[in-house]
Amino acid sequence: MAKRILVVDDAPITRLMLKDILVANGYDVVAEASDGVEAVEKFRQLRPDLMTMDIIMPNKDGLAALEEVLAIDKDAKVVMVTAIDQRDSLMKAIHLGATDYIVKPFEEERVVAAIINIFGGTK
Amino acid sequence: MEKLKVDKTIKLVAQLAIDISSQVFSKIVKRNTRVTLERVFIADITEITESMAASEGEIVASSIDLTGDVDFKFLFFVDTKDSFLLSDLMLGKEPGTTKALDDYALSAVQETGNILASSISNVFSTNFEVDLKPSPPAVLHDYPGSIFEEFILDVAREKDTIFVIESVFEVGGLDIKCNLFLLPSHDSDKILTYIADTI
Repeated sequence: MAKRILVVDDAPITRLMLKDILVANGYDVVAEASDGVEAVEKFRQLRPDLMTMDIIMPNKDGLAALEEVLAIDKDAKVVMVTAIDQRDSLMKAIHLGATDYIVKPFEEERVVAAIINIFGGTK
Repeated sequence: MEKLKVDKTIKLVAQLAIDISSQVFSKIVKRNTRVTLERVFIADITEITESMAASEGEIVASSIDLTGDVDFKFLFFVDTKDSFLLSDLMLGKEPGTTKALDDYALSAVQETGNILASSISNVFSTNFEVDLKPSPPAVLHDYPGSIFEEFILDVAREKDTIFVIESVFEVGGLDIKCNLFLLPSHDSDKILTYIADTI
């Protein structure tokens, strides 16, 4: 069964680009969220196998949402997504417990490699 | 004298940011992209406001606050039709596929603005150890005058000039004319002058 992924980003075009990459590589994108509030809510409802989480978002940013998701499930797998050079935020995310990160503009190979690595080589 | 120094810093930051943006944008659209810096100049806010108000045709804009050691307001905009092209390029569609403004065209401008603002933030942190944090981009679709008035609303009383950066994204024979406005807060001049003294 394909791994279930929740895609979180405030930009619809970025969600679509990520979704296209994930679906083309055999993953099931179960839902999308456009901010941290929606992300936490959908995580609670759907319990996906993994979520991609943009850092800079309105209402609740990705770091705050990450903390809440990990409070719900400390083993949640969260890949942070951010534009270039938000190094401090990325370090903070890793420190909080993010599983990995990808940098925008992302390359398909990097996205897929990160996810395959998290799932121990299985899709 | 101080104004000249601030001007020098902004021009350098603009050039470095445009260089990074070329590389970054090439990755997004998976095509060779050349971002050319056409002009960087300081403009009088009143004159630019009048000029924007006189501009015809709606635009799509991305507005971002950069806050930290220096505070800026950043505005990126393109003609509405060029937002269709940006969307097609980012989604790997044949240019000309998008015929009407939709969520993806708006979002293409939002993300391009985000990348450009992050490039500026990157230039400040890498080259000058000045940290800036971008806000989530707000995307706007309206007439230039309305968008610009909103953009300068908070700072118009304390600033009388603005930095204008005009650039052209050349992507596979297509030219997308882009405009950036960078509005430093009043108390940022000290840091910008300091940067000019160190370069």
